[in-house]
Amino acid sequence: MSETAKAITDLFTARFGDRVTVGATQTGITTLEVDVNAWLEVCRALRDEEDFAFEQLTDLCGVDYLSYGLSEWDTEDASQEGFGRGVEALGPGRFDWANRPEAGDVKQRFGVVVHLLSLKHNRRVRIRCFAPDEGMPIVPSLTEIWASANWYEREAFDLFGIVFEGHNDLRRIMTDYGFTGHPFRKDFPLIGNVAVRYDSQKQRVVYEPVEIEPRVGVPRVLRDDSRYKTDELDQAADARAEEVSAGLNGAEEGKD
Amino acid sequence: MGMNNPVPLETVDDILRPSADANPLLERGMVTTSLDALLNWARTGSMWPMTFGLACCAVEMMQAGAARYDLDRFGVIFRPSPRQSDVMIVAGTLTNKMAPAFRKVYDQMSNPKWVISMGSCANGGGYYHYAYSVTRGCDRVVPVDVYVPGCPPTAEALIYGILQLQAKVRRESTIAR
Amino acid sequence: MAEIRNYTMNFGPQHPAAHGVLRLVLEMDGETVVRADPHVGLLHRATEKLAESKPFNQSIGYLDRLDYMSMMCNEHAYVRAIEDLLGIEPPPRAQYIRTMFDEITRFSNHLLWIASCGIDLGAMTVFLYCFREREMVMDMYEAVSGARMHAGYYRPGGVYRDLPESMPKHKETRWTKGKDLKRSNEWREGSLLDFIEAFAKDVPSKIDEYETLLTENRIWKQRTVGIGVVSPEKALQLGCSGVMLRGSGVEWDLRKKQPYAMYDQVDFDVPVGVSGDCYDRYLCRVEELRQSAKIILQCVDWLKKNPGHVMLKNFKVIPPTREEMKDDMEALIHHFKLFTEGYCVPKGETYCAVEAPKGEFGCYLVSDGANKPFRAHFRAPGFAHLSGINEMARGHMLADTVAIISTLDLVFGEVDR
Repeated sequence: MSETAKAITDLFTARFGDRVTVGATQTGITTLEVDVNAWLEVCRALRDEEDFAFEQLTDLCGVDYLSYGLSEWDTEDASQEGFGRGVEALGPGRFDWANRPEAGDVKQRFGVVVHLLSLKHNRRVRIRCFAPDEGMPIVPSLTEIWASANWYEREAFDLFGIVFEGHNDLRRIMTDYGFTGHPFRKDFPLIGNVAVRYDSQKQRVVYEPVEIEPRVGVPRVLRDDSRYKTDELDQAADARAEEVSAGLNGAEEGKD
Repeated sequence: MGMNNPVPLETVDDILRPSADANPLLERGMVTTSLDALLNWARTGSMWPMTFGLACCAVEMMQAGAARYDLDRFGVIFRPSPRQSDVMIVAGTLTNKMAPAFRKVYDQMSNPKWVISMGSCANGGGYYHYAYSVTRGCDRVVPVDVYVPGCPPTAEALIYGILQLQAKVRRESTIAR
Repeated sequence: MAEIRNYTMNFGPQHPAAHGVLRLVLEMDGETVVRADPHVGLLHRATEKLAESKPFNQSIGYLDRLDYMSMMCNEHAYVRAIEDLLGIEPPPRAQYIRTMFDEITRFSNHLLWIASCGIDLGAMTVFLYCFREREMVMDMYEAVSGARMHAGYYRPGGVYRDLPESMPKHKETRWTKGKDLKRSNEWREGSLLDFIEAFAKDVPSKIDEYETLLTENRIWKQRTVGIGVVSPEKALQLGCSGVMLRGSGVEWDLRKKQPYAMYDQVDFDVPVGVSGDCYDRYLCRVEELRQSAKIILQCVDWLKKNPGHVMLKNFKVIPPTREEMKDDMEALIHHFKLFTEGYCVPKGETYCAVEAPKGEFGCYLVSDGANKPFRAHFRAPGFAHLSGINEMARGHMLADTVAIISTLDLVFGEVDR
């Protein structure tokens, strides 16, 4: 991939204008944020037009941004309490989207992230769409544009609850038959709600409430302090930031 | 014949087997222990496992059956059908979705049957113990005779587990109570 | 007049040819498949959610267990993604070791594939021959990491430790002594690199053995030629990658097009098929084995000539050695923080793909600046391939379904994750 980040960013901005926000390019993969209303149109253009020619949908996955930026262990202040009591008790299961403590820089709770591959131009792109309503996340389905989206959308529906409008066979794929809940959501516990055992009286496998306790081995911490700014990391980060800002500045100028 | 079946030092007076005193055939004696020894020799000499490879342990199970750690020399031939097998080697992670099918296959095996739980996922959930979809040990669904630890247990460890099962089978007595 | 209906039957989940836990619900018209509906999720172990609950390095072990026939390639994708977010690059010796072990892993995968494909279609001898070679591969894994299968060898910043100077040797026993013992220890006299070199030089003759058994075999050809034909456009639409694409004639290999590790420094060819049926894919995989041997020999050459360190010296993300840790206070503090809390990866998201033996294995990693991944999604090639089985198996007979499942090169650890 010999094109510069700026060239690719220019290409996308020139074609899609303000329906698409062009994010940073990392590893040569540009991220486009597409509004849900323009989702199908942009995807069709990405597949069909000569400049883009993204013939293959490599990956589609859902992301739940509920606890984005949330830390369980206070790293800003000192504490008199030890590990067990120092861990903040507010796990993601105890708040909802409207009341989340860490606003972060994410617009909506559920996002659908798609990775596309263009064999002709030897290029990848990542496109993201946020579901507008976090209570009932609905996103248009991409199965008519790329057939490989089929099972990926089923998986995102099963694990996150994102409904794909226009999918012809949206049913569960990974979870157990009769499983309730969407397990990869941040408010669903890792250990789940049910466990299984064989009951010799009923002569079949039965579901019972889960009896193990959740266990936090290492608390989640966010650190952004001076220890991570060694010379090489700093220089690399500065160079990347410069490249991105140059690209975005160029894009802004182009829009003018 | 050099068989290692244990012979009791004296007759055991056991209130749990009242009919033994009345029926001379059921008492522990030379005939019954020899018959038991014969049965156990036949059973341990040709334990046919059913291929129940679920995940990575299945690959080590295949390696155990392959050229270097040949299982065929122990009389162990893998059978695809539960109706033709004696032992089930549960190799891999058992998930909640798979559990009913697993129990069904176990029920389809005919007696006498044994179960070897291979690998830490089958022993107690293993690396995936805290996952919502994993059954924390196949012994929640079937009774297990031998647990082979490891992730995955090396082919050698599996062979050791099979040998332990053979030792357990030899300790069993079917005719003499 | 009696009514004739299609018969729906269950193939799996316990089935010797189902390649793991696959429940395929087949609607049959006599012996012909009208519709195939795969039910997966019977090995869904919530790897991605477990990865969110563990620091980055503790999840490397999960990657081994995803595609458990090609362990180190999965690790490579994940470790590359972490390195990308951290902005670090491993030293060249580590890159060469990674390249070499990726190709050794390709051996492990393709040998098991030939073995299982053979045994599914009735050729049982190939199984024993391939597993004999696979034992050598497992010996290499064991020498370098301590474990025969799940190595956990790659780390962000390089590999865990350098290649050993000696290989374990067979001991003398009652049944093996003298000339026999010498012959079985022939390759193990030197270091691991000597063992790998001897293996790579010897393996083309072994591949010839497998080809003698299968390639011109009338029965094998009858069972694979014309079965499961996928056109190039269909393959792209279905999300196929790797040999599934190359068997249909599409020249796409990530090692050549988007090179990583040291693939742009080694010289190799990529086999591409013509008709997109099972036979072409078989031929591609066998030829890939020969090319892998070529790559391995080049890497061994370089590694022998260029000693060096295999891990970066950046103690913010990579732990110091134990000797350093016991001597130096700062090293001790680094060791402590890294093993209790782990390093924090800067905010960002990345997608890193490798050319795993089965296809394109990718890792989409989202970090919000914490010591655990915010979202780790693994793009498994088997998932996309299996989704196309309805198109591929329609109109074929039941026995051909087995051939098609084999040719997709499925492993349920990665399909279900």
